[in-house]
Amino acid sequence: MSAPTNPYMAKDYKSDLKPIWCPGCGDFGVVTAIYRALAAVGRPPHEIAFVSGIGCSSRIPGYTTAYGFNSVHGRALPIAQGIKLANPSLLVLVAGGDGDGFSIGGGHVAHAIRRNIDLTYIVMDNQIYGLTKGQLSPTSHRGLKTASSAWGSLEDPVNPLQYVLGYGAGFVAQGTPADMSGLAAIIEEGIRFPGFAFVNVQSPCVTYGEEEAQLKAQKERMESLEKLGHNPADRLRAMDLAQAYGTKLYTGVLYRNPTPPPTYEGAVKARHEELRASAKPKAQILDMFAPR
Amino acid sequence: MRSDLIIGMAGSGGDGIVAAGESLMTAAALEGYHAIMTKSFGSQIRGGESSCRLRISTQKVLNPGGTLDVAVALNWEDFLKFGAELPVGGHTVVIYESDTRVQPDKIPLEGVIPAVALAVPIQGMAKEHAGTEKAKNTVVLGLLVGWFGLARDGILAGIRKKFAKKGPEVLQGNERAFGAGIEFAAAHPIEGIQGMASPTGDKGKNLLVDGNDMCAAAAIFAGCEFFGGYPITPSSEIMQFHAREIWKYGGTVLQAEDEIAGIGAVVGASFAGKKAMTATSGPGMSLKTEMLGLATIAELPLVCVNVQRGGPSTGIPTKSEQADLFQAVFSAHGDAPRPVLAPVSVEDTFGVTVEAFNIAEQYQTPVIILSDQEIAQRKETVPPIDTSVYRVIDRRRPTVNELENYVRFRVTESGVSPISHPGMKGGNYLASGIEHNEKGAPTASGEMHSRMNEKRIKKLFPLKKRRDLFYIQGDANAPLGLISWGSVAGVAMEAARQVQKEGIPVKIIVPKLLFPVAEEIYQEFFASIKRGLVVEQSHQGQLYRVLRMFVDVPAGVVSLAKSGSNPIVPEEVVGRLRRLSLALQRGRVPESEAAHD
Repeated sequence: MSAPTNPYMAKDYKSDLKPIWCPGCGDFGVVTAIYRALAAVGRPPHEIAFVSGIGCSSRIPGYTTAYGFNSVHGRALPIAQGIKLANPSLLVLVAGGDGDGFSIGGGHVAHAIRRNIDLTYIVMDNQIYGLTKGQLSPTSHRGLKTASSAWGSLEDPVNPLQYVLGYGAGFVAQGTPADMSGLAAIIEEGIRFPGFAFVNVQSPCVTYGEEEAQLKAQKERMESLEKLGHNPADRLRAMDLAQAYGTKLYTGVLYRNPTPPPTYEGAVKARHEELRASAKPKAQILDMFAPR
Repeated sequence: MRSDLIIGMAGSGGDGIVAAGESLMTAAALEGYHAIMTKSFGSQIRGGESSCRLRISTQKVLNPGGTLDVAVALNWEDFLKFGAELPVGGHTVVIYESDTRVQPDKIPLEGVIPAVALAVPIQGMAKEHAGTEKAKNTVVLGLLVGWFGLARDGILAGIRKKFAKKGPEVLQGNERAFGAGIEFAAAHPIEGIQGMASPTGDKGKNLLVDGNDMCAAAAIFAGCEFFGGYPITPSSEIMQFHAREIWKYGGTVLQAEDEIAGIGAVVGASFAGKKAMTATSGPGMSLKTEMLGLATIAELPLVCVNVQRGGPSTGIPTKSEQADLFQAVFSAHGDAPRPVLAPVSVEDTFGVTVEAFNIAEQYQTPVIILSDQEIAQRKETVPPIDTSVYRVIDRRRPTVNELENYVRFRVTESGVSPISHPGMKGGNYLASGIEHNEKGAPTASGEMHSRMNEKRIKKLFPLKKRRDLFYIQGDANAPLGLISWGSVAGVAMEAARQVQKEGIPVKIIVPKLLFPVAEEIYQEFFASIKRGLVVEQSHQGQLYRVLRMFVDVPAGVVSLAKSGSNPIVPEEVVGRLRRLSLALQRGRVPESEAAHD
């Protein structure tokens, strides 16, 4: 995957901090896939900003050598957008769990998508709240018994894939640490995509997750979209396939917009160029308040 | 000749009352008068009642004043809706639409007999001379010019400019309507009326601006390159200004999906190394509170403006109040003090905003500016500001040496540690809302938590020595004291000036820095004080109570506080000061006005 000329290796993105994750947690695989994807892209760590919210998976920026920001619950996307707009030359990664992305922070996803700011948003979806010790998450299935649903959940889950496709995300993919090279490849592709990219990772919780969500079970269930002959440019077919979220485990690129719309920061750059000449010196900015 | 004139006008939405006020303001500003104009509307989006009050003076004016000298009512129903905002007194000249068919001795003002009540066929004159009712406001301008000798040429020039675009017919119609108003006044002289004295200021030098625009312009001057926010009355004009201007300076505006995302993007932009701000009002401030805590622990500079309005919740969104001080000072979770500043006028908003950015950058902290609807949305003449005297401070970035083995949160003597940003090689670190050690690694150590709290709190202490963030005036040994803040401080300053002229020994302190509380500066002020008032617009008297929490406030200092939308006027403060002075001379405790605890 990485070109021989690439100056960075996967280990260059790995920090000295020891993850707090439970042994066997899917997130170990996710962070490894991110190291590999970053090495393939080859940007130096100091040009990368990696933002997360709160949750087990949101610890992830600290395990990289990038500029990390482990922020507040559900708000990684707004912070990441501010970073990218303040300095569009940065590579901006965003990560968090399903609760962070589709429950407390769910309102931000639609707007990040419609603004099309060039970010890669990786959701580690484990259908449970692990850090708070096993409550329902927005992707938990109906009937699931958890610490907060002793008699079973009365709600249907959010479908993250349909959610982001519905709002017009230009790049939508799903992966699992059960397929490391596939996961690294879609994260790399998401980073390279010029605009908002979404990667849903089925990253099992070994402590509170269900048996069928574990990596071993995933290996048997997962189906490669590529092998199924799916054309990622076909948005309607992607929507159709996304319906199977929760029943089937498709991996690979579900949708890639062949003609991505302009990014927000690209439009900002054009506006700066257009308006720069009309700026008065800052010392004279108050002149505009002279009565006329 | 009079040196001060307070005009209040009200009508229904389409009457152009506010437009007339704007014309008067522009003309007054151009001619070198000092002036303040406030507008007030019913809560309807369009139509409904609207009013404005103008205070025009040959001296600097600090507040919109109390009782009106002139009241203009295009209809009584709308006028009366503004209640205490347009108070009529015994000296007021009342001009009203004769079409209301109200007899001058029957005007619906309870308990007040104004000096003069004049029914004028305003609508009839507009129709006759301009062929349309729309020119009513132009007739009113003519009447005011005729009776009070105000800025005739400036207003005429304004009318010409405004209506030139609408074709010669409309322009000439308005010129005739203006002339008719002047002639009507000449034909109906008011006995004892005093015309306005000539202005003392330089012609054509004054600025004319409101607090929100001033705040946004000052932010750009201070180096702000990012605004993230969400529309909310009465702060939206700050975002709207940036949406017009900040791009020219390489900055970016993000109208976010909600208040949280607005400040979230600001936190991100600051992390990325840019000076950044957001603006909101009470309810939005509540939503931003978690992010303010994040900015405190991650030690990221940002400026958050709260243009206060009546609260709680939706409250009275279009009216001013000063009841968000507790929120600004105490709403943080954890031990998270943050600087809180408040401007006292539109002019002052420039310096306070620049200072807010400087403090944010220097101390790597969120800074709250507590503006209020009164300052934010009133237009004020501002004498020219020499921007070259304002210093602009940038955050302390690490040197090449410090980047060798970079420690983001190094505990230094001052508590301030060099801050890197993405893109800076060697500066890589983890910013976090989780407690961290000096290198930024998460920790749950109580010892480390104490050290970091100490660092974050101690670094703000130098602010308590900043005398330049206080306005202190009067004899240092005076036994009477006034304390006030925000827009209401302009009322207190005027009251202090007035009673000082009467020989009453009073001094005044107005903090622009509300938090951290500068204990020593207050203690010094209170040393000579036997009696005093803390004047502010909130039900509980929030500054009074914050002061009592941190300072030994003398027992004779009491709270003069009212809920928002109840104007506090200089006359009232003057009256209270006179009573306190008398009580002091007689060595008695004044009638019980102490706060109820």
